[in-house]
Amino acid sequence: MYELMTMASMMEDSPNAAKRPNFSAISNSNSNGISKTNSVLMVKSGVAKKLVIKNFREKPKLPEDYHAETWKKLKEAVVAIQSSTPISYCLEELYQAVENMCSYQKASQLYENLREVIEQHVKETVEPYIRGVQDRKIFLKEMEACWQAHCRQMIMIRSIFLYLDRRYVLQTPSIPSIWDMGLELFRKHVIGQQLAQTRTVDGLLMLIESERQGDVVDRLLLKSLLRMLSDLQIYQDVFEHRFLQATDALYTAEGRRLMQELDVPEYLAHVDKRLQEENERVLHYLDGGTRWALIHTVERQLISEHLGSLLAKGLENLLDNNRIQDLSLMYNLFSRVKNGLVELCTHFNSYIKKKGRTIVIDPEKDKSMVQDLLDFKDKMDNIVLTCFQKSEKFVNSVKEAFEHFINQRPNKPAELIAKFVDSKLRMGNKEATEEELERLLDKIMVIFRFIHGKDVFEAFYKKDLAKRLLVGKSASVDAEKSMLSKLKQECGGAFTSKLEGMFKDMELSRDINVAFKQYVANLRTDFDSAIDLTVNILTMGYWPTYPLVEVNLPKEMVQYQEIFNKFYLGKHSGRKLQWQPTLGQCMLKAIFDNGKKELQVSLFQALVLLLFNESEDLSYDDIKTATNIEEGELKRTLQSLACGKARVLMKEPKGKDVTEEDKFKYNLEFTNKLFRVKINQIQMKETNEEQKATEERVFQDRQYQIDAAIVRIMKMRKTLSHQLLVSELYNQLKFPVTPVDLKKRIESLIDRDYMARDKENPKQYNYVA
Amino acid sequence: MKVKIKGWNTVAVWKWLANDDKCGICRAPFDGCCSDCKVPGDDCPLVWGVCSHCFHMHCIMKWLAAQQNQICPMCRQDWQLKSE
Ligand SMILES: [Zn+2]
Ligand SMILES: [Zn+2]
Ligand SMILES: [Zn+2]
Repeated sequence: MYELMTMASMMEDSPNAAKRPNFSAISNSNSNGISKTNSVLMVKSGVAKKLVIKNFREKPKLPEDYHAETWKKLKEAVVAIQSSTPISYCLEELYQAVENMCSYQKASQLYENLREVIEQHVKETVEPYIRGVQDRKIFLKEMEACWQAHCRQMIMIRSIFLYLDRRYVLQTPSIPSIWDMGLELFRKHVIGQQLAQTRTVDGLLMLIESERQGDVVDRLLLKSLLRMLSDLQIYQDVFEHRFLQATDALYTAEGRRLMQELDVPEYLAHVDKRLQEENERVLHYLDGGTRWALIHTVERQLISEHLGSLLAKGLENLLDNNRIQDLSLMYNLFSRVKNGLVELCTHFNSYIKKKGRTIVIDPEKDKSMVQDLLDFKDKMDNIVLTCFQKSEKFVNSVKEAFEHFINQRPNKPAELIAKFVDSKLRMGNKEATEEELERLLDKIMVIFRFIHGKDVFEAFYKKDLAKRLLVGKSASVDAEKSMLSKLKQECGGAFTSKLEGMFKDMELSRDINVAFKQYVANLRTDFDSAIDLTVNILTMGYWPTYPLVEVNLPKEMVQYQEIFNKFYLGKHSGRKLQWQPTLGQCMLKAIFDNGKKELQVSLFQALVLLLFNESEDLSYDDIKTATNIEEGELKRTLQSLACGKARVLMKEPKGKDVTEEDKFKYNLEFTNKLFRVKINQIQMKETNEEQKATEERVFQDRQYQIDAAIVRIMKMRKTLSHQLLVSELYNQLKFPVTPVDLKKRIESLIDRDYMARDKENPKQYNYVA
Repeated sequence: MKVKIKGWNTVAVWKWLANDDKCGICRAPFDGCCSDCKVPGDDCPLVWGVCSHCFHMHCIMKWLAAQQNQICPMCRQDWQLKSE
């Protein structure tokens, strides 16, 4: 029994697929126009199926001229197919004929006969026809038509000779299937001819080139012909190589030209468009196998070749202007080529270093340095996040670059960061909610992390924190504590232990003051004061060092201090108290013509005002003698009282500045809409000297830390070479030091007999116990 | 009286009543604490000998524990705590 198969099932379970690999013309038949043929055949085979059973029952006798007759019949059918005329036999009859021929050992001859007929047709009909056409486009169309006709015919012929294909060809490995035989003949007599081949490939390349220039071309024609080359297994040999060469030449020239003509964003957009177009080309008509080489060629000629120029010419501008989309595109395009991202990252890194340096290096810009750093960091982070896919390489590069440039200027950034934090934590900073402040502090910590000399930050931070705590200027205890814990997390407990000590002193002082109030209440003396005294007791090592100042206090105040002294030393033996008048604050009750006011003033301001209880007019010298306040301090104090916003003193002669010839008077006509008036002290501008003093303290502290580290290491190792000692020190010290610094400290310790040079080897040190 | 003090907020720094600014044993300043402690103050107090030398309490205790004779490391006189 034989079975008739529909075209679909024939394709699916073709058993010797290896023998006919080039079935794409049929399987992808939609655009080839073969599908119609398929459906016609299927209907016919459906009709024929009824006859199968009949034939099976009656086995025909074999006439003598059966072979010749049968072949004649089959040949007629083949010729009819080739000439597109109707077949005069029913298909069932033809199928049976083929089966019969095979059954009677005529398969081999039948195959040969069939091959002859097909070859004849291809050679005589198709070949001359193709040779005749001159116009390129018409030629391509004709070639395509021939190919489509060939395929159509071969499908029909094959379906008639299916039995031959399956029984005979399958069992005879040396011969190709009927379909492959058709291809072989087409290749040999049509496209294999040099002229036809050249004209086909030239035509194809011309069409593609004109599409690349922007023309609309017949993509279906391209697709069909390229598919033909694939089916004939000559796509790579005759087409792909030349196509890639043409592509390479085109984009080499285009890249060079457009790098001159376009600015970088335009150029990148163009490259992106080209890549899309070429991908579409693969999608629409090129063989999928060409994709890699094609895209690679475009990438190489349009991107790789110009990496350096694109970065040098365009990156800074894109970053300056925050061109998010262009930067994303640059990243995406560069990620396609070798070293693209490495180069991008390197240039990005240099950009940050260069820009960052301009933020920190110029003293003129110190005022805005920290805000500029925060903004710059935000901007770079955002670019890495949105344009550079948050790539770890770039994230790390930002860190490295910030750390590099921020330390280009020693000490100053650390100092300004400390002051910036102070401005945010100080009372009156109403610009931020708690959450905003918290976020801001986190951002500052990120910048702070890059600073090498964190001790400079600590020195200035400590100074400001002390002011906030002692003058009660801190905006929020929570924010203070939060900042402290951030610092602790970042730099460790040793770094914050002193700062924590300051908070601890404040808490202890609260308890001491409560106890002192009770103590005063129980005192059996006639001391009775209306003054509400609060003393903050500081532990020396935690706080900044304040200059020792002696001023003349009114008797009542001196008495009060003595009582406190007695109270305190009674609780803490072995100690002494050193009063710090510079940090004192007073609340005064003052009477003016317009009524009573409460004045919130510094101790120095209070001392000056109190003098006017006794006298009407006082000269500068009177005040100086009476209070013993240091000259500069006194001038600022008088200026704040007589020349500021709240003028509780009058000065003669009037003027903005205070001179030693000035005379002062209590201003009875003072008015203010508030009951409680704060008289701001005129802040001594942080002079170079004060600046230097803090820096000097940091420097001295560093010397001390270096000494301590050297002694610690030597004590543990007993003997160590200079080299090893220095490298140990670099590991341990948390601030920048030079080898010269270290050498000096080592010399100093040798002088002081903490260690000694080895007698045999001067480059080796021994610990001296 | 034109002006009267109502409130006074002042600051004092406490220091050890020592006759030197450094401990002769650990060589750390008395403003800080001995090498075993972290916090200066009552947790790391100073002690005074009759000889008038003064040390971190922790330092002199360690020193004495390691010595056979109970002598002051600075002046080699017998070490005796000065009573107040
Ligand atoms: Zn000590
Ligand atoms: Zn201790
Ligand atoms: Zn002694």
